[in-house]
Amino acid sequence: MSEENNTVTINLDGDDVQVTAGANLIEAVAPHGKEIPHYCYHPKLSVVGNCRMCLVEMGMPMKDRATGEPILDENGEVKIGWMPKPVIGCGTNVAPGMHVRTDSELVHDCRNGVMEFLLVNHPLDCPICDQAGECGLQEFALDYGRGYSRFVEEKNVKPKQVELGPRVVLDDERCILCSRCIRFCQEVADDDVLGFVDRGSHSTLTCYPGKSLENNYSLNTVDICPVGALTSKDFRFRMRAWFLKETPTICSESSVGCNATVSSREGVVHRITPRRNDAVNDTWMTDSGRSLYKEIDHKDRIRSFRVGSKEVSVSEALEAATNLLGSSKVALVGSGSCSVEEQFSLKKISDYLDAPTYLAGHFGEEDGLLLSADRTPNLRGALATGLISKYPSDNLKSLGRRLAKGEINTLLCVREDLLDVGLTPTQLKGVRIVYLGTLENQTSRMAKVVLPALTTFERSGSFINLQFRLQKFLQAIPGPAGTLPDVFLLNQLLAELRKEPATPFSMDEIWTEMGKRRGSILKGFTFGEIPLDGVLLDPGKFRAFPYVERKNLHFNLSDFRKGSNTSSQQAT
Amino acid sequence: MELNKETRTRIREAIKRYPIKRSAVLPLLHLVQEDQGYVSDEAIEWIASQLELEPINVYELLTFYPMLRRKPLGKKHVRVCRTLSCALRGAHRTCATLETELDCKEGDVSEDGEFSLEYVECQASCGTGPVVLVDELTYEEVEGEKALRFARSLKDRNLGSDPDFISYEEKVEAGLGEPHEKAPHSAPREKKIILQHADARAYRNDLKTYLAKDGYETLKKAVRRKPEDICAEVEASGVRGRGGAGFPAGMKWKFLDRRSGNPIYLICNADESEPGTFKDRQIIYKDPHQLIEGMMIAAYAIQAKLAFIYIRGEFFEGARILEKAIADAKAQGFVGENVAGSKYSCEIVVHRGAGAYICGEETGLIESLEGKRPYPRIKPPFFPAALGLYQCPTIVNNVETLCNVKHIVDMGGNRYSKLGHAGNTGTRIWCVSGQVKRPGYYEFPNGAVTLGEIIYDVCGGLLPGRTLKAVIPGGSSAKVLRAGERFQGKLKNGTAFDWGIEDVPLDFDGPMAAGSMSGSGGIIVMDDGVDMVEALANVSYFYAHESCGQCTPCREGSLWMKKITTRMTQGGARVDDPDLLLSIANQIEGRTICAFGEACAWPVQSFVSKFREDFDAKTDSSPDGAQLPFTPASEPVIK
Repeated sequence: MSEENNTVTINLDGDDVQVTAGANLIEAVAPHGKEIPHYCYHPKLSVVGNCRMCLVEMGMPMKDRATGEPILDENGEVKIGWMPKPVIGCGTNVAPGMHVRTDSELVHDCRNGVMEFLLVNHPLDCPICDQAGECGLQEFALDYGRGYSRFVEEKNVKPKQVELGPRVVLDDERCILCSRCIRFCQEVADDDVLGFVDRGSHSTLTCYPGKSLENNYSLNTVDICPVGALTSKDFRFRMRAWFLKETPTICSESSVGCNATVSSREGVVHRITPRRNDAVNDTWMTDSGRSLYKEIDHKDRIRSFRVGSKEVSVSEALEAATNLLGSSKVALVGSGSCSVEEQFSLKKISDYLDAPTYLAGHFGEEDGLLLSADRTPNLRGALATGLISKYPSDNLKSLGRRLAKGEINTLLCVREDLLDVGLTPTQLKGVRIVYLGTLENQTSRMAKVVLPALTTFERSGSFINLQFRLQKFLQAIPGPAGTLPDVFLLNQLLAELRKEPATPFSMDEIWTEMGKRRGSILKGFTFGEIPLDGVLLDPGKFRAFPYVERKNLHFNLSDFRKGSNTSSQQAT
Repeated sequence: MELNKETRTRIREAIKRYPIKRSAVLPLLHLVQEDQGYVSDEAIEWIASQLELEPINVYELLTFYPMLRRKPLGKKHVRVCRTLSCALRGAHRTCATLETELDCKEGDVSEDGEFSLEYVECQASCGTGPVVLVDELTYEEVEGEKALRFARSLKDRNLGSDPDFISYEEKVEAGLGEPHEKAPHSAPREKKIILQHADARAYRNDLKTYLAKDGYETLKKAVRRKPEDICAEVEASGVRGRGGAGFPAGMKWKFLDRRSGNPIYLICNADESEPGTFKDRQIIYKDPHQLIEGMMIAAYAIQAKLAFIYIRGEFFEGARILEKAIADAKAQGFVGENVAGSKYSCEIVVHRGAGAYICGEETGLIESLEGKRPYPRIKPPFFPAALGLYQCPTIVNNVETLCNVKHIVDMGGNRYSKLGHAGNTGTRIWCVSGQVKRPGYYEFPNGAVTLGEIIYDVCGGLLPGRTLKAVIPGGSSAKVLRAGERFQGKLKNGTAFDWGIEDVPLDFDGPMAAGSMSGSGGIIVMDDGVDMVEALANVSYFYAHESCGQCTPCREGSLWMKKITTRMTQGGARVDDPDLLLSIANQIEGRTICAFGEACAWPVQSFVSKFREDFDAKTDSSPDGAQLPFTPASEPVIK
C-alpha cells in the first residue's frame, strides 16, 4: 500500500495534517507533537473510554443531507458541524476532513475537571508511593491540576497493601478504576481473576477471594497501572524512579527475545520492564524474564579467573586454557545463550582447532504468548554464524559416545552444565574442561580452567530470535571487578592459540568480518547499525529447520515455513 | 451445592433460555438466593462452574446489585423507599417508626432475627408513597399514623389479615386496581389508549379477559402484512420513545443493521426506575398481554430472532405475571413457534434485574443481560442497532412505547399521528407524585393539558394550606421548574411562547422549551414546606448510590455532590458550597459515557441556581461552616 492510501488529512487545532488512517485520535495526533492525556486507554488493550481524560472537541464538514453537497459558511468555507459534546480521543477514529481541537478552552476545562475528580478520593501519599516520578496523576496534575483542593469531605476508605499475588501488591485507595489490569488479565494473560466489586465511587479492584494473581504475566499489570495502585513486590521501596538509568536489553529467557529495559543505578540493577516492540512482545514480558537480573548477584556467581581451585589473573587463566586446548583432542560445547558475536568467535576457535562443536537445545513447554519452547535466546545465532550446522536434537549424546571412546579428552564449554545436558560423570572422567560461564555448576567444579562470563546486563551483543529478528542488547552495568566481556576473552583465547599478539577489536569489526563469510545471512550491518527494535533477517536455508516453537504472540511456525517471519495473534 | 429439586430444575431451564450461557448469571443468582436466603461463597463458585465462568465474574455482579446479598436477612425483610417522592410524603418518618416498632436498625437485622430493615431506592410506586416492601409485597401510602399501625401489624404478624393494609400485588390480583374513588381514570380530557383497560372494573390481567377485549387481533393482522409495512406504520405514527430520551421509535428501527447477517434482538426495557415514574408498572401488572402483543408486533416488524423483557428486580410479582402471560399466549400460538399462524417464530424471555438504576440505560441494560456489570457502552461504536446484545443488531424500547406499537398498527400510523400534535404524537402517561392531593397516573394526548392543569385540576391541587414551590416535570433527573418562573422563546414551529410554570404544555417539547424535559413523564410536585437543600440532598444521594462507577466525572462527582449536600443539611454548610456544587455539576455534564452524567448534574444545576436562597440560608445559619472533615450523622433526610 502506498503511503497516500495509509493516511488521511484532518484539521488539528487549525492546521491540516496527515495522520494514519484508521487510528484513534490519541495515536493519530501524537506524531504531530500533540499529547492527548489519557489513563484507561492502552494501545494493546480494548478501548473502554472510562477515564474521560482524553476528551477533545471534534467536528465534521457539514453536508446537505438531500444533495450531499457541502454546506458553506458566509466566507465560502465548508461549515464544520462540531459535536455538541466533547468526544473521547481513544474511541474516536480519524476520518478524512475531521476537525479536532485538542487545546481549546473546553478541552482544558474537561481535563481540569477529570483531574480534580481523580484526585478527590486519592490519598496524598506521593512521598511514600513507588509510582512517584512516573505517575500519570502526578504528570497530568502538573499540567491540569488546580493547584489547591476544593474537596473538604472525608475521603473514601478502601483496602491498602493487599497482596494480589506473589509479586503484585494493591493499594485500592490509589486505584483510579481504569480497568487496564482487568482487561490485561482477560485479554492477554487469559487469567480472569481480577475484577471490580461494589459500585460507584466505592468500586474496588479485587482478586477473587481464594484466587491469586500469580500468572507469569502478573507484573505487566504493574507496568500498565497508570498510578501507584499496583506495585511490584520486588521493586517496592527499592529505588526512586527518577534515579534510574534505563538501558535497552533483550530478555534471554527464551527465543522470543522480548525487548526490555534495564533500570539501574550506580551499577546495581533494580528492575527489568518490557520495552514496546509491536512485532515481538507488544508491551509485555514474562515475570520470569524480569527476574533474570538476579543472576548478577547470585550466590553462585563466578567472579574470578581460576586454574584448578586457585584464583589467577586473566593472563594466567588464558595461558592455562591455551595450553589445554592447543595440545589435545578438543571439542567445543557452545550455547544458544551466547551472543551472535560470541558464537562467531567460538566458530573461529573451532575452525582454527578443527574441533567439532556441539550444542544442546534447552526445550520446554511454550505458553503460546511470550515464553517459547526454546529456552535459549540465540539458537538461531548458532545456526547463522555457522557454529552448528544442524538443529540440536539429541542433547550431547554423540559427544558422550566420543568421550567414552577417548576420541575427545578436552572440552571448551561455554554457558552450559554438561551433566545437565546428557553427559555422565563417567564420560567426563579424566576430561579436561575449560569453562566459561556466569554461575558455578557441576561443570565449573570439574573444570581445570574457569573463566567468568558476564550476564546480558553487563555486556553488549546481539541475539537472533525465533522470527530471525536480529536484536541487540547494551551493557547497563559493569561486570564484577576484573572480569572482561565474553567476546573479548574468546578473541584473546583465539589469538593466543594462534600464537599471535592480541589485537584490539570492536563489535563493528566483528560484524564486518561476519559479513564477509561466504553465504552468511549476517550481512549489511555493523553492530552500531542494528536498530533498537531489531531487524528481520532473511532466514534463507534456515527456514525449514525443525524448530520446536509452534505459536507465540507474534510467531507461527507454519506461517514462518511459508515465508512470513512474523504473525499476529488476534487477542480475543 | 445443596439446592432443592425445584430450584435445580429452574436453574437448568434458565440456562437453556439464553443464546449465551453467561446471560444466566443474574437468574441463577436470584434462584440460588431464593433457595438459600443469600449467596454464599460456595454458591458463587458453583454458579461460575455451571456457566463456565470464573468466580470473579459472578462476584463482580453479586456486589454490584443491591438486591443480591452475601448474608442472610431477617425472616421478614422490610424495604422502605427513601427516594424523593416517598421522602416528600414522609418516608424517613416511616422508617423511624419501623425502626422503633420492629426494634431493628435500618441496614440491620433485628436481634431476634425476625426482621431486617433497609432503605431502598425508588420502587416505581411514587404516586402512593411512602411505599414499604415486606418481602415481595408492596404496601402503599404507609405514612404518619398509618405507619405506626402498619409497623405494629407487621410486628404482630397481622399484616396479611388487616384490611387496612392490602398490598399492591394483592389489589392487582383482586382486581381492585387503583382506589376508584380517587378516580384518576375519570380526569377530564383523559384519553386512555394504553391504560384503556388497566384499571377498569372487572378487568383482569389474564388472557381470557384480554381476548374478550379483542386482544391479539392486531397481532393476527400484523403477521399477515409485510414486516416493512409495520415499520412504515410506526415511522408514520411519529411515536417517540417513552423511556426518557424521546427518540422517534420508527427512526430507531430504521437504524437496524440488517446486512450484518447476525440475528436481531428485541429488548423491552421494563427497568422502570427513574424516580417519579410508575407507569410501566401499571401496564405490566394490570395489562401484561397488551405489552406482549405490542412486543410480538414489534419483533415481527424488525424480524427479531428472540425478544427479552428486562424487568426491574423489585417487580417480583410483575415478573411472574409476565411469565404466566407469555406462557398463556404461547399456548394460544401468539408467542413462540409460528406466531398467530404465520411462518414467523419468536420467543420472549423475561429477565429480572436486581436493583440498579443504570440498567435502565439501554447499553447498560444490554451488558447486564449479557451477564456483565452493567457499564454503559461507548457510542460509537456500540450503537445497539448495529452492535447490541451479543454484538448483534438490537432494538431496545420502553414498555409504553411497545404498547403504543400495538395501537399504531391497529389504528394505522397516520391516524395515530393525529393524536396529540406534530412531533408529539400519541398519548402519554404522566405520573404525578409528591405533594398534591391526588397523585397518580393519567393518560392524555400529548399537549392536551398543561402542567398547571394536571396539578390543580387533575390532581386536585396542593395539600391544604400549601402553595406550589417547585415541579420536576420528567423524573428526578429533569431540571426543576420554579413556581413563578417565566419561560419565553420560540417553539420549533416558530410560535413564540411566554409561559408561566402552569402554562407549560405536557408533551415532549413543552418541558424542553421550558429548559427541562418530559423525560419519563414523572412529575414531582413540591410545596412551600420543602427545603430545597434537603430535596437536592435526597436526589444527590440517589445518584451517588446509582452511579455505576465507570467514568470518572460521574463516579467521583456524584458522590462529592452527595457529600456536600448531606453536610449542608446537617448544619455544616460552607459559604463556597453552592458555587462549588454548580462547578462540580458543570464538570460532569456532557462528559460521561452515558446520560447519567446529565441525570446527576441537572438537578444540582437547577436546584442551586433556581433556589439559591435556600442554599444561602444554610450557609447563613452556619457562617463558619462545619468542623472539617465533616462526618455526616446519617444519610440526608427530608424532615
